[in-house]
Amino acid sequence: MTYDVYMHFPVLAIMALFVGAFLVTLSGKREVLRNIIAGAAVLIALTLLALLIKPVMVDGEIITYWMGNWEPVNGYAIGIALEVDALSLFFGLLVAIAVACSCFYSFQYIRQDDARGGYFTLYLMLAGGVMGIVLSGDLFNIYVMLEVMTFAAVGLTAFRTWNPNAREAAFKYLVVGSIGSSCVLLGTALVYAQCHTLNLAQISALIPGRMNPTMVLAFALLFTGFGCKSFMFPFHPIAADAHGAAPSSVSVLISGVFTKTGVYGIIRVSYFLFRSMGLTSMQTGLVFIGCVSMFVCVTMALNQHDFKRLLAFHSISQIGYILTSLGLCTALGIAGGLYHAINHTLFKGLLFLTAGAVLYATGTTYLEKLGGLARKMPQTAALFLIGAFSISGIPPFNGFYSKWMIYQATFEKASETGSIGYALVTVVCVVTSVLTLASFIKVGQSVFFGQMPLEYENVKETPLSMRIPMWIMAALCVFTGVAPNIMINYVIGPATGAVLNFPGYIDAAMGEGYAAATITDTGYLAEPRLLTIGAWNPVNWLLLFVVVLAAVFLVSILGKRDRGEVNCAPDSKHAVFFGGEESQYSHVASGDLFWGFKHNLRGYLGFMSKAHSGVTNDYVLWGVTALAVIILYCFAFM
Amino acid sequence: MEILIKAVYILIFPGLLFATVFGLWLAGIDRKLLARMQKRVGPPVLQPTYDFFKLLGKETIIPANAAKVTFLAAPYVGLISLVVTALFIPIGGLQAFGGMADTVVILYLMAIPSLAIIFGGSASGSPFAGVGVSRSMVSIMSYELPLILVLLAVGRAAAYGGYTTFSLEQITVIQQLTGPFLLDWRLIPAAVAMLLVIPCEVGAHPFDVGEAETEICEGPLVEYSGAPLAVFKLSHCIKMFIMTALFTALFLGGVTTGMLWLDVIIALVFCTIVTVVSMTLTHAVMARFRVEQLFKFFWTVVSGLALVSLILVWYV
Repeated sequence: MTYDVYMHFPVLAIMALFVGAFLVTLSGKREVLRNIIAGAAVLIALTLLALLIKPVMVDGEIITYWMGNWEPVNGYAIGIALEVDALSLFFGLLVAIAVACSCFYSFQYIRQDDARGGYFTLYLMLAGGVMGIVLSGDLFNIYVMLEVMTFAAVGLTAFRTWNPNAREAAFKYLVVGSIGSSCVLLGTALVYAQCHTLNLAQISALIPGRMNPTMVLAFALLFTGFGCKSFMFPFHPIAADAHGAAPSSVSVLISGVFTKTGVYGIIRVSYFLFRSMGLTSMQTGLVFIGCVSMFVCVTMALNQHDFKRLLAFHSISQIGYILTSLGLCTALGIAGGLYHAINHTLFKGLLFLTAGAVLYATGTTYLEKLGGLARKMPQTAALFLIGAFSISGIPPFNGFYSKWMIYQATFEKASETGSIGYALVTVVCVVTSVLTLASFIKVGQSVFFGQMPLEYENVKETPLSMRIPMWIMAALCVFTGVAPNIMINYVIGPATGAVLNFPGYIDAAMGEGYAAATITDTGYLAEPRLLTIGAWNPVNWLLLFVVVLAAVFLVSILGKRDRGEVNCAPDSKHAVFFGGEESQYSHVASGDLFWGFKHNLRGYLGFMSKAHSGVTNDYVLWGVTALAVIILYCFAFM
Repeated sequence: MEILIKAVYILIFPGLLFATVFGLWLAGIDRKLLARMQKRVGPPVLQPTYDFFKLLGKETIIPANAAKVTFLAAPYVGLISLVVTALFIPIGGLQAFGGMADTVVILYLMAIPSLAIIFGGSASGSPFAGVGVSRSMVSIMSYELPLILVLLAVGRAAAYGGYTTFSLEQITVIQQLTGPFLLDWRLIPAAVAMLLVIPCEVGAHPFDVGEAETEICEGPLVEYSGAPLAVFKLSHCIKMFIMTALFTALFLGGVTTGMLWLDVIIALVFCTIVTVVSMTLTHAVMARFRVEQLFKFFWTVVSGLALVSLILVWYV
């Protein structure tokens, strides 16, 4: 394949999704046709992006595609561009994988709903919007796609209109989300007024010469806008409502993909356009926001009684990890953040799908009502465990590897800057990880283990068509955890390089030498180098595990004569021990757990749950306050 | 030849066989000395070993409510991951598999056996286990904070050329140059914190809230019997070995005589002493904490000690 061929792939990937959205509507009530169209659209997008791995990731090319062939005239980029470097492709791939898995899952999952045609239209619009954002090379187009995405997401959140929570969540989402959208729009307008162009590459080249208070304001607005889209603190409460109320297959997109566009926007704005990440104040600010998001949301998650709301809070907590890591502005930090971004999409997607499976099978996700489902849904339980271990960072699953990179990056940063504060960031990260583990043990105990309420006696395992996408995601979770070298060499490494390689990005769009001509200070970072201060080799760990497993197995075979028999007949002898009395239903469910922890932190937890009042006005107030604080902070320190 | 040596490492020393024997022996010493401290005669040192083999021969009962696969697989997963972790910790300069796992990785690997107990208990469907699961998790939350602070303090103390480290090899090498970290006054609070973390991590009295026999009938283990129970008991013993070996590597490393076998023996003696100091003594003199007291104690006193060390190492 030559450049002439694959330069069309990004635009085709976006088109496939949008065209799919319209064709789905045309297919009317013919379900099979609709599924085929939707499936084909997402698979085409995935394939096209996968084909770009070789040229973009491995060979390091940057694809610039001028729509309608409107190339720059006299050094001014007037036309609309798609520009795909390794960073864009990284996020594009992540989007495509999640969209594909979730799409195949939803064929069966939404059978119980009405308005299924509308579902796929909105679904593909959402996917196309996200894809458009990450592949676009034009600031205004990013805004347009952001709106397409937001409105599709709001529609999907309210998809189950019979559910009052869903309508309420959609309303909150609409209101608070519009703060983010207006910020992005205003920021874009200011940038356009100053630079007279909307092309990312050209803005990036022009900004160093035009840094004035207006641009500082523009930066603050864009940062807050994208921050709102990533649901960072203090925009997180709407995420909880929206993720919790939307159908699970949509939550996968909102949590795994939608939030990533916010992260992507923050990277583009602060590393590319304004290159403000070199400033210590900006690093401190982003790390602070990340840490607060991480900790506040994980403690909120511990308090939840609904499976999906709990997952929603965790997703912001994980975004906190990503922002913290990106805020370090070291190569290892960026790599760790990006690695965590892809891992988060995979494991959170998997967990939302298992939550969907539980909802599908039992009709509820309320933790206090469930219990003991592992006996009826063994595969779903196994999938849940894989997802839970991944998100809690249990080796050798993927969450561990990226968190481990983040710990090292923060600790290294601490020794580089000599500031003990970054060491404490490491501590916050580790504590958050433990609390994450705790809340997933809560879910495990209340949903899949423990005693089963009688009403679930007839519950069945989810159909195969829903399990296959889950198994694919689970397999990817294991793969990205066990083969970090492949991931780093082919995906994370190039993407990290791309974050720091803004001159290359500018030159690819504006012609060779443009960056060198306009930018004197070529950057705050030299060659990216991934220096680790620890050691972790998951493949060898697995090998050792297998060897020891074989040895233990052998020993138990050889000692068979001594081994007692295994017994599980359904008689009174095998009933659960109940203090010597006749056993009765007594499930220890979510509300009963971790009393020792909750009791000690009752002041803090009480304050937090009071603060999350559920009133839209409060959340808007938080958002506006955050905007004000960020603007002031930027003016004070930039 | 290479493979043969690796096989010896994995299966005999310091892997499966040695970890089992030494762990059971440590547990025996612990029980015997505890009895002597309480003016009892106490069981023979080999009692835990006898118990282990006795349990292996007993019938295994699976409760009717249990999620069978998780219930039966959990003990073995826990045991195996413990044995693998044992391979990563340097014992007196002998490192079976160097450069594969650092201190933070070990922190996380040590969570797997605890998780095995938690999910195994959870899968048994017993309400006692449910309460035990909740308490065990609170004790994990309790000790992780001081433990990571200790690891960071040691990592900073072992900095070389301005680079802090998580690497166990580097920590060992730096101690060979500067002497054991236990003799460094700045790290003494961290060492004390670590001595308190060990019994909590192992689940030994007075921090055994998760398995408190007198309150919740051994919590997660309540429904276990026969071989799986034996494996859990064995895991408990091996944990004692690993945690004391970790303490030895972090604070008493770098004691060399030039002869590898002698170094190893010295390290094992240190392990025994640490067991006695951190587990037997605390067991003998303290009553069991309540679960909220445990959490408070670890997040204030123990973490405070570790934090003091971290600040001292950072600025002094």
